[in-house]
Amino acid sequence: HRRQGTSFNRGLHKLGFLSPKPTSLMAAKVSVSPTSLIDQIVVPGNVVLDLSNMTNQTIKLGSGLHQDNDAISAMRAGKLSFCKPNKYWVESSHKRYIPRPEDHVLGIVVDSKTDNIWVDIKGPQLGLLPVLAFEGGTRRNIPKFEASTLLYLRVVKTTNTGMNPELSCTDASGKAALFGPLRDGFMFETSTGLSRMLLSSPTCPVIKALGKKLSFMIAVGLNGRVWVNSAAPRTVIIVANAMMNSESLSGTQQRIMVEKLLAKISD
Amino acid sequence: MEGRLNNMWRLTVNESKFVESALQSELRVDGRGLYDYRKLTIKFGKESGSSEVQLGQTHVMAFVTAQLVQPYKDRPNEGSFSIFTVFSPMADPSFEPGHPGESAVELGRIIDRALRESRAVDTESLCVLAGKLVWSVRIDLHILDNGGNLVDAANIAALAALLTFRRPDCTVGGENSQEVIIHPPEEREPLPLIIHHLPVAFTFGFFNKGSILVMDPTYVEEAVMCGRMTVTVNANGDICAIQKPGEEGVNQSVILHCLRLASSRAAATTKIIREAVEAYNRERSSQKVKRHHTLAKSEVLGPVVVV
Repeated sequence: HRRQGTSFNRGLHKLGFLSPKPTSLMAAKVSVSPTSLIDQIVVPGNVVLDLSNMTNQTIKLGSGLHQDNDAISAMRAGKLSFCKPNKYWVESSHKRYIPRPEDHVLGIVVDSKTDNIWVDIKGPQLGLLPVLAFEGGTRRNIPKFEASTLLYLRVVKTTNTGMNPELSCTDASGKAALFGPLRDGFMFETSTGLSRMLLSSPTCPVIKALGKKLSFMIAVGLNGRVWVNSAAPRTVIIVANAMMNSESLSGTQQRIMVEKLLAKISD
Repeated sequence: MEGRLNNMWRLTVNESKFVESALQSELRVDGRGLYDYRKLTIKFGKESGSSEVQLGQTHVMAFVTAQLVQPYKDRPNEGSFSIFTVFSPMADPSFEPGHPGESAVELGRIIDRALRESRAVDTESLCVLAGKLVWSVRIDLHILDNGGNLVDAANIAALAALLTFRRPDCTVGGENSQEVIIHPPEEREPLPLIIHHLPVAFTFGFFNKGSILVMDPTYVEEAVMCGRMTVTVNANGDICAIQKPGEEGVNQSVILHCLRLASSRAAATTKIIREAVEAYNRERSSQKVKRHHTLAKSEVLGPVVVV
């Protein structure tokens, strides 16, 4: 616990592991009690919870945490997050994506086979999109996608045995619901942390600030790909660059950045 | 096979269409002007002759070393230099380890031609014993991250490394004046190479059948562009090399326009390189002063005699 000091975390920042958040870093309190580790950076090996202090409570452990009898320790470097009433997990930002079921991702078509379309979702393996996984999809109206088409998809299931994850262009009830190919616009790649931030609710400050003056459409994939479209190419470029620069900024900093950017552009 | 398919970088139809349509309105995807360069930082390593250059996302390192070798038979009074490029697989998923690919060889050739044909590096001063021993300078270029426009970044890295490289001083002595003594750096200050001028490379990307051109293309722009050209100029306005590797044909007027653009920027980039080198030299000489100070101190201490 004591070693969770500033120099170690700064080293991690230099590796590009953590998004630099100077305010939370400098304020990292050196303390032993578990509740103060919430929203702090933890590294593998940190004991984040001591179950002997918390009897008669059911705790849900999310990704990045591992139970060792009474001690819950972190398995990944990231921020310890807590959601009422009892969910704990470690959030980290990476350039690679690990597929999880029910994630909405942006994929690029690699190849079309008879039964499946191979799609690149920035994960350890290519995803397989069944040709029938579209609304009203039958053997008669199989969609044909060219290579390098951008699709908005849902991850249906992943197996631990190293098999390719299965994807779908419908939601759980079989409707199309905005899944499918994305036309025009511009796509850029970022980290998974930025994608999660852009999708957070209430609306992420940078999107809110941009939305006040500009009209645009975005599709955010949890795998670190973002698609932006608007009538004017200028708007697309402004929105894309503003989002790319907003990963390490706090809410107010994002708003200020966007306001400065829009003021400069309109001159 | 599937693993390799997964690790490739792909350009989506959306990106290529957007880059082209934005360029019709003179907009670049990262917000730059058509002829703007990305941010350039030049850093130096601990040893003399090592430099690290970052041009936006592109990251290149250069190392200069020298060795005493026998000269070529047809040039007994001249030293030589050679350039080796290493395209590390960590820079780009399409770079393979081992044998350098076509683009690696081309990059090495552009930089080599600019330095050699324009005689930027003085090779006669590298001669130690005519016909017997000369210095052979070797420049190693390591590409660490490919963010587009490797040629310009690698060229600046090579120039920065050459300017800060110091070779050992050597004297010819002994009987018959045939013995060569190489002095270690503590005995005699190592000497810099004589560089007459700095040939700086500027790369242009052509779009829309050669009618739109940009300078310093990024990775995405390089994937979309239909042709490119590299012009190497020095601050005096001399054109040291031009490289246009096939692809889309362009008008003569476009080529002249590129040459003019490159010449107008050469002075500014040369100044940036020289300023960085000077700052580094100043720091190194101030560090040397500190070193001699501690040496002098230890001499005074001497052996402790206990009676």
